[in-house]
Amino acid sequence: MAEPFIRIENLVKAYQRDTQTLTVLSGLNLVVDAGEFLALMGPSGSGKTTLLNLIAGIDRPTSGRINVGGQEIDGMGEAGLAKWRSRNVGFIFQLYNLVPVLTAFENVELPLLLTNLPRARRRKQVELALSIVSLTDRMDHYPRQLSGGQEQRVAIARAIATDPKLLVADEPTGDLDAKSGEEILVLLERLNGEFGKTILMVTHDPRAAARAHRLVHLDKGVFKEDVRAAEGQKEVGMAAAIAASAGFEPRP
Amino acid sequence: MRFLPLVLKNVLRKKTRTLLTVCSIVLPLFVICILGTLLRALESDPSDGRGMYRLVVRHKVSITNWLSDSQTSKIRQLRGVSELVRNQWFGGSYIDQSAKNQFARFSTQDPEALLRVFDEARIVRGSADEWIHDRAGVLVGELLMKKYGWQMGRKIVLKGDIYPISVELTIRATFSGPDETGVYFHHAYIEEAIPRVKGFVGWFWIKTASAGDAMRLPHEVDALFENSDRPTRTETEKEFQNGWVSMLGNVKLLLTSIALIIGCVILLIAANTMGMAARERVTEIAVLRTLGYPKKTILGMILGEGILLSLLGGLFGLGLFTLFYPGFRKAIQYSPMGGFAAGMGSFPDPLLLGVAFAVTLVIGLLSGLVPAVQAARRPIVDGLRQVA
Repeated sequence: MAEPFIRIENLVKAYQRDTQTLTVLSGLNLVVDAGEFLALMGPSGSGKTTLLNLIAGIDRPTSGRINVGGQEIDGMGEAGLAKWRSRNVGFIFQLYNLVPVLTAFENVELPLLLTNLPRARRRKQVELALSIVSLTDRMDHYPRQLSGGQEQRVAIARAIATDPKLLVADEPTGDLDAKSGEEILVLLERLNGEFGKTILMVTHDPRAAARAHRLVHLDKGVFKEDVRAAEGQKEVGMAAAIAASAGFEPRP
Repeated sequence: MRFLPLVLKNVLRKKTRTLLTVCSIVLPLFVICILGTLLRALESDPSDGRGMYRLVVRHKVSITNWLSDSQTSKIRQLRGVSELVRNQWFGGSYIDQSAKNQFARFSTQDPEALLRVFDEARIVRGSADEWIHDRAGVLVGELLMKKYGWQMGRKIVLKGDIYPISVELTIRATFSGPDETGVYFHHAYIEEAIPRVKGFVGWFWIKTASAGDAMRLPHEVDALFENSDRPTRTETEKEFQNGWVSMLGNVKLLLTSIALIIGCVILLIAANTMGMAARERVTEIAVLRTLGYPKKTILGMILGEGILLSLLGGLFGLGLFTLFYPGFRKAIQYSPMGGFAAGMGSFPDPLLLGVAFAVTLVIGLLSGLVPAVQAARRPIVDGLRQVA
């Protein structure tokens, strides 16, 4: 049996607020295989984003182990973790978080500036990433000159520019209209299916979650449900699971 | 270097703010350069080193107290005294008492010796002989000639205040040298008009044979007249000049303090701008760190912004000062403080420019330090949370 891509063991995350200790995640265990498209759902404050941040290496666990792609990231130092992130993780945020003074091209180039790639090679890689999100013709546009959907596509291009194996998306459609959101989800599906990216997506949107292969429902820091869609019936299976757990209508 | 375009774009992100911040560095730096130039002028030795062989002997109580002509021969007899000249401050006024018509007016008992003591001075127009042999002749500094547009042979009238006479003098020669804003005429002219002042001397200038003599002689001269009715105070030329400056109060301390305060104000303005810029970009910085930008890169980028901003201000400030320097020098030369201009070169002092440039670099570094450290230290998740 192949080694899982992500393995989380007894993960605890607690915050100290004055004299109070607030435990956000309590002893979570999770295994994610390479190439999975996993949706994390749950009410606000359930610990979804915290879990995502911990797996992506931008936050530190209180205790427990996190192994991603064969590397124990919970024991890494600050600099090592930054280097690991730059090579292995692509981030997609709800509010895109593009740098407003940089063009689409320059935004996508940002993670590549940390590599030793020569300028020409960086350019090629940026163009490739922008072509995947179908925005080659907008590479010289500034974020303010793009629609929300386009901005998010640029953000996705930035996330895949270094060709990481893992993409983490925190409510990627949360700030978009239905049409643009749909385009982003199609793109994520493509990145997962065609390019083999492992995707972890936090979402409140059942329609977005329905695109995933697996739905993990988190509540008060513990897993309540972990549903995998049957092969060939992913959407129907996930939709049913969502409908059952969150009371939403499944997609027709 | 690959992050330089990003640093540059961040500096130019808010153009109005950047412009105002640069201006807030340019103008104070300009003032610092002006103050620095004055300080350097006060500290400079316009005699080009020759002043170290010259001593001034004046009355111990004050320069306004006269010495006696009878002291001349005693001083002359001391070993190491190679030349001696007796001078007087005539004061008075030319045209009127306004500031624009103020310049130094001296009379001397020894015109020939004057030119030997101040041998760095060069006769430019006319001749030394003409001046020496004309009791009503006057030797005029070249700058003063230019200021008033005087020509050789012109008569000028100085109205006395210490001496109740007006002297009508004919310009017989002009000189160039360390201080070209003064006039020198024969003391015999005054003595003839007011016989009672005969035998009094304002101060003596001594030219010593060696630097060693210049160090030894002040004690010897002062010891010579210690118990006389006209005790002396003998100083080097530099000490004498500093004495004049100190009459204005502790000018050096004042100028240095003002420059330091202005420097601190620039630092606070730049630090405020950098702090604002970093605070506005908390999320952006968190995103960069999410992408894998290490702390030291973030630190370097924000420090780079501070330095770039200060450098812009510094370069414009120094450029502006260099541009205005000739005018500033001219204004000083033709002002009542014209004597100080003798220490100002034709171009701004490179050392001063270097120090001012270094100060801007330090300001840039310090202004960006706190925001940079804060930005680099802030946990990524805290930075990202500020989006919501």
